Amino acid sequence: MKASLVLDKNSLSYWLRQIRKESNLIAPMRSVNGDIVFESVDQIHEVVLDYPLPPPPVKEFISPQMEGMFEYKRDNISDLRDRQKRVVFGARSCDISAMNITDKFFGGETEPSYDKRHPNKKFKDSYYFSRRQNIVFISLGCNNPAPTCFCQSLGTGPFLDKGFDIQLVDLADRYFVETGSNEGEKLINKHRHLFTEAQKQDYDDRYEAFLSSVSKFEKRVNLEEIRQMIIDGKVPEALWEWVAERCFECGGCVYECPVCTCFNIVDCPHSKDTGKRFKIWDTCFFKGFTQTAGGNIPAEKKVLRTKRWWFHKVLYDLEQFTSFGCVGCGRCTITCPGRIDIATVSEKIKRWR
Amino acid sequence: MAKDNNIYLPSKALIKDVTDLSCDVKLFKVMPEKKTQYLPGQFFMLSLWGTGEVPISITSTIGLQKHIELGIKKVGKVTSALHELKAGDTLWLRGPYGNNFNADISKGKDVIFIAGGIGILPLRSLINFVLMNKKEFGRVFLIYGSKNTSNMLFTQEIKQWAKKGLEIILTVDETDKRWKGSTGLVTGHLDKIKTDFKKASAYVCGPEIMIENTMKELSLRGMPDKLITTTLEARMKCGMGKCGQCYHGIEYICTNGPVYSYEEMKKRLY
Repeated sequence: MKASLVLDKNSLSYWLRQIRKESNLIAPMRSVNGDIVFESVDQIHEVVLDYPLPPPPVKEFISPQMEGMFEYKRDNISDLRDRQKRVVFGARSCDISAMNITDKFFGGETEPSYDKRHPNKKFKDSYYFSRRQNIVFISLGCNNPAPTCFCQSLGTGPFLDKGFDIQLVDLADRYFVETGSNEGEKLINKHRHLFTEAQKQDYDDRYEAFLSSVSKFEKRVNLEEIRQMIIDGKVPEALWEWVAERCFECGGCVYECPVCTCFNIVDCPHSKDTGKRFKIWDTCFFKGFTQTAGGNIPAEKKVLRTKRWWFHKVLYDLEQFTSFGCVGCGRCTITCPGRIDIATVSEKIKRWR
Repeated sequence: MAKDNNIYLPSKALIKDVTDLSCDVKLFKVMPEKKTQYLPGQFFMLSLWGTGEVPISITSTIGLQKHIELGIKKVGKVTSALHELKAGDTLWLRGPYGNNFNADISKGKDVIFIAGGIGILPLRSLINFVLMNKKEFGRVFLIYGSKNTSNMLFTQEIKQWAKKGLEIILTVDETDKRWKGSTGLVTGHLDKIKTDFKKASAYVCGPEIMIENTMKELSLRGMPDKLITTTLEARMKCGMGKCGQCYHGIEYICTNGPVYSYEEMKKRLY
């Protein structure tokens, strides 16, 4: 941790206004239909600070739902990599934790123990990092976790110790401000006069806020226990069948999941030899996800797909990145129409008879 | 600036020659604008504007053929469009990607190649490599099975291979009047190979079910699992371990494969 400061709440909108002069400022805003979503800020006073649940994940700004890769015109290719300067205000700890995992994934930075068995070439994703290198996050610790949240069980929230650019903790009339990266520090140093050094009372109040937040979690999910049960063969095939029966194959969990990364690549032709190539989110729950040209579908049975998603989150990600592929944001609990989200199924696995 | 290189941008390649290998497989001789090195077992991501990008294994061998050779069966959208192209047309390549066949493990040993259908295409790269360095290996065998006589690829080249010391068994499912070779599955001909399986190594490629059965049969004859090698196929969109479409358990076949030993398959592809 680099610096611990305090920002008076009255200075927040001024600070954000200054930031907006140099970057595209993104923050939680109420959309026309009432949902809270991350959007470019038009009116700073409309930024929503007390939203009860985390809005859709901020992965949209680093790995968007649909992204133009390049335009082709016969023999010419024009690269469409996005290098816009962005500052995202109000991202939550779970999203920041998720991004620390996707940074490793898209950077090809797997664990040495995994690399030893897979000594093959690692790639750094050009599209992910052209956006990632130009984005700074001002995240907000969660004082009031939602009933669906379980980040505390995974160590990915409600407040973070590291991995963030700038972390704010709401102390009623002021914010406790921590910087965790050079980019974060730069953003503060430009307007350093707005901040004061944190005093003992501020540290005490931050700790108070932490204790209060931790006591509010309603859900506990022990993924390590689930992992052990899977490894020990204590999770029968019948359970995965039970899960698959309830899966609508809508892909909602994957699209809302801040750790999920899979995508498809498609061409959109304008004419015979001009057009645009896109990256577009895809999900392993769709039957066609693994379909090869001959029409063969390796994961045709639904149970193979639901089970694999679970194994990926609970077993495989841990082996590659020393963290589960879940940060406890609870978005799948909100989204899933079949109620087979991480928290519910974890509970089901423990109680399966 | 090399550091800022976009790994998703393909580079242009010129089609030098197109020949029919069978009614639905064509051999494309391709010259990329950028000098490109590759190893047997690797693959390229091949693009055609407007139709998309597909993984295609390399069938040529560096040091033998001047151009990159890609044997392509007409199966899906991109390969159908590709079959319309002729010499002088352009296509786009990224790569090569994936790991490669490890020929070192077979040095000093008898080598058995077992191919089914278009499985001969990726193996051809290695067969030619082994035949070029024949004195480093023991006896070299090939069992090649295809559906019928007209689907058999490289019939002329196979005659050249025989002259270079490759011992060959050709087999078909549907025989016809002209056919003088064997019939039936490739696994049915394993015992005709005069080798000590316990000391030999094998490279297998073909339809999934054929790969599975052949590897099992070789293992039952005492061949060490780590000396039984295959190459797998999967749907791929990036070829670099990002898009996730080629998953097989924890493995992404594009970067961790496509070449696997039977030992690795048993252990990791759960």
